[in-house]
Amino acid sequence: MADLADMPTTSPDRSRRARRGALLAAFVTVALAAGCGSGGGSTGAAGGGAKSDTLVLANAVNVDTLDPAANSVNESIWMTQNIYQRLLQPNANGTDVIPQLAASWDISADGMTYTFHLGDHQFSDGSPVTAEDVRYSIERSIHYDGGWGFLLEAVKSVEAPDPKTVVVTLSRPHAPLLADLAMYAYAVIPEKLVKAQGAKTFFQHPIGSGEWMLTQWNKGSDLTFKVNPHWAGPKPNFTTLKIMIVPNDNSRVLLLKNKNADIIENPPGNLINELSADPDLQTYLFPSTRVDFIQLDQHFAPFKDPKVREALNYAIDRNAIVKLAYSGHATQGSSYMPYKMQYWNSSLKPYPYDPAKAKEILSQSGYPNGFKTYLIEVANDVAGNATAVVIKSDLAKIGIDVDIKTYELLTAYAKEDGGNSQMGQRYWTNDIIDPDEVTTFGVDPNGGANSFSSYWGDPTATKLVHQARGELDPDKRRQMYEQIQQIVYDQTPYLILDYSPYRYAAGNWVHGFHATPLGNYNLSLETLTVDQH
Amino acid sequence: MTGRFGFLGRRLLQLIPVVIGITILVFFLLHLVPGDPARQILGQHYTPKAAAEIHHKLGLDQPLWTQYKLFMERLVHGNLGDSVYYNQSARSLIAERLPATIFLIAYAGALAALISIPIGIITALRKGGIFDQVTRVGTLITFAMPPFWFGIILILFFALKLQLFPVSGYGQGFTDHLWHLFLPALTIALAFATILTRTLRTSMLSTLRMDFVDTARIKGVSRSTVLMRHVVRNAIVSIVVVFGVNLAFLIGGTVIVENVFSIPGLGQLLVDSVSSRDYPVVQGTTLVLAFLVVFVNLITDVVHVALDPRVTYE
Repeated sequence: MADLADMPTTSPDRSRRARRGALLAAFVTVALAAGCGSGGGSTGAAGGGAKSDTLVLANAVNVDTLDPAANSVNESIWMTQNIYQRLLQPNANGTDVIPQLAASWDISADGMTYTFHLGDHQFSDGSPVTAEDVRYSIERSIHYDGGWGFLLEAVKSVEAPDPKTVVVTLSRPHAPLLADLAMYAYAVIPEKLVKAQGAKTFFQHPIGSGEWMLTQWNKGSDLTFKVNPHWAGPKPNFTTLKIMIVPNDNSRVLLLKNKNADIIENPPGNLINELSADPDLQTYLFPSTRVDFIQLDQHFAPFKDPKVREALNYAIDRNAIVKLAYSGHATQGSSYMPYKMQYWNSSLKPYPYDPAKAKEILSQSGYPNGFKTYLIEVANDVAGNATAVVIKSDLAKIGIDVDIKTYELLTAYAKEDGGNSQMGQRYWTNDIIDPDEVTTFGVDPNGGANSFSSYWGDPTATKLVHQARGELDPDKRRQMYEQIQQIVYDQTPYLILDYSPYRYAAGNWVHGFHATPLGNYNLSLETLTVDQH
Repeated sequence: MTGRFGFLGRRLLQLIPVVIGITILVFFLLHLVPGDPARQILGQHYTPKAAAEIHHKLGLDQPLWTQYKLFMERLVHGNLGDSVYYNQSARSLIAERLPATIFLIAYAGALAALISIPIGIITALRKGGIFDQVTRVGTLITFAMPPFWFGIILILFFALKLQLFPVSGYGQGFTDHLWHLFLPALTIALAFATILTRTLRTSMLSTLRMDFVDTARIKGVSRSTVLMRHVVRNAIVSIVVVFGVNLAFLIGGTVIVENVFSIPGLGQLLVDSVSSRDYPVVQGTTLVLAFLVVFVNLITDVVHVALDPRVTYE
């Protein structure tokens, strides 16, 4: 049988081969040329550099909704804070509230009536922000199913006696009111437009009075904002804000290194030192309201014993967790309240690592020889996985055998809730600057979250939670919250591990980026600059 | 029913039990998995009371069979329900993400064909030569490499080091899509091309041994004509079927590549919606992906019949 390969070729065959080869080369050239020619939205790649009037920020998590009443995912919340305004907003270090739509406000002597006087603001379509819009937005959020209405249960009515005045009347004194109204859920939306279009349609192309106006939303991919032409504040130093959605950690870091993004959210903790060492980059570790803790479900008998819980605290090496899980970029935890937030009790110190003392305390408990338990962790949570390993190792030294159970996120939550759990990795971040929210969730067994699913309660602490909520004197409130923190510290219904910061990385061509302890960065966008690079 | 229309009609009718089977399987399997969509919506601020409100709003407090019945009633009218996560219709969400996945699959398929056909032909003609040896080892390596690792390597080299392509994303406009999706499509294509190359090589070698090839040459037909009109034309039929079957698998395999390259396609949507227990979107996406697989298989069969007159529609 003759092999076709061995048969002599003829001139027409050779020229046809040459043509085919040229066509293939041409295709590849066209593909590459198309790429070089189309810079698209990317910056820093072959053929173009970043424009100084554009800021590109890569988020780790997708934006699910731009409806402020439905917000709960941080990355979506930060978007709505760019688009909308509230009556007030938290200041840059998260310790107080400052005016936003409300230029000023008065509080009646009995603390039951708050009167807000609106400044001159317009939505991005040019229509004025009126008191009716404020009233509508607050009431809509209060009554939103599964929303944040529980924060304003003390609100009896919201009225708009004239276009520039909003009056909030309470059924009982409510100290956190200003902090609650500064929350993202109470952002102001244009009543007439929302009713005309329907909420579902409106929130695909929302309009607000914030600094930024959404111009394009490619779901799951990116959002583009332009400066609101009717923005009342100082004009920002760049005109376009692009948010890219890049869930893969490695891809996000590569995007920054390739200068396709100017800022990236949440770079992996174990890469912070490497990124800091890069001469073209800078890293940020912003103080946050995040508290990492271990839930101890008291339906599991050993955790009902206060001596056991105390022993666990001394047995765990928090310093090792900070080093292993966060490369040293975290602070050991003491109070259940976020680090240095309003009324944080600075006299409480992290439990020292003392396995001998832990063993001694355990010997005085109902379980002197230890016991077997499990710890639920979330898969692919690098810091959490490292933390679990430290805990297992530390508790083994005092005779407690911990089985680590790893689950996907929602499955882990399902296993941790419901009162059938043992140990579980959890965390908390504040939505408001006031301690009422975290205290209600973490200390009041009837506050809705069963004291962070520990099912613990202390009558004195519970009484103080309710008293502090209605106490308008800041000094008295401080004393109450300090006392609550001491009770929780002493009884340790859960194990406070650490306070971890918000991590960001950026090119060194970005100046002035800042995230507040609540996580939002919209304030810094007012003055941020982006150099050409 | 006979002929091509009968064939098409029968295949479309076969879709009905396939769709029903998929909806039952996905619906009940998903609900068996622990995890509450209200948890995803509420995050750490989950309270049983707030969760109950959400369950009621979404109809999740109804018995499972009632929920399934409602879903099927809506499906008959083309309504896939509303996403619990995005607060928009599942159908519009899927419609937004579908183009990116189809573009990626088509691009990967085209690249795979462009790579595998010339290489398959050359390795068959130069059997045992250096090119053949190198290709056989190379295809083993590309086939063994996990896509998520290989994708990152391509990004590191072509995007970061050489700055030829972007790190991630989909871009805007046709040429921008071509540029953005080149690396992800190549990631898929290289593994795909391995199978096609080896199949074509084997098929070519088998065809080259046939008597009609010798007969054609003896009769004076040129080498290139014998090669392209007789050998390749016959050999390529085998890879059409392989191409179609593997393309259908690729549709499900885009999940990893879409995640690594942050492409807003159906694969990424499916992963996100399973993670957040967004039941309507999971059901809708699985249905659409199933349709795509069936459609690709159908096209494969039609092309197969067109290329090979020995195969009929019966």
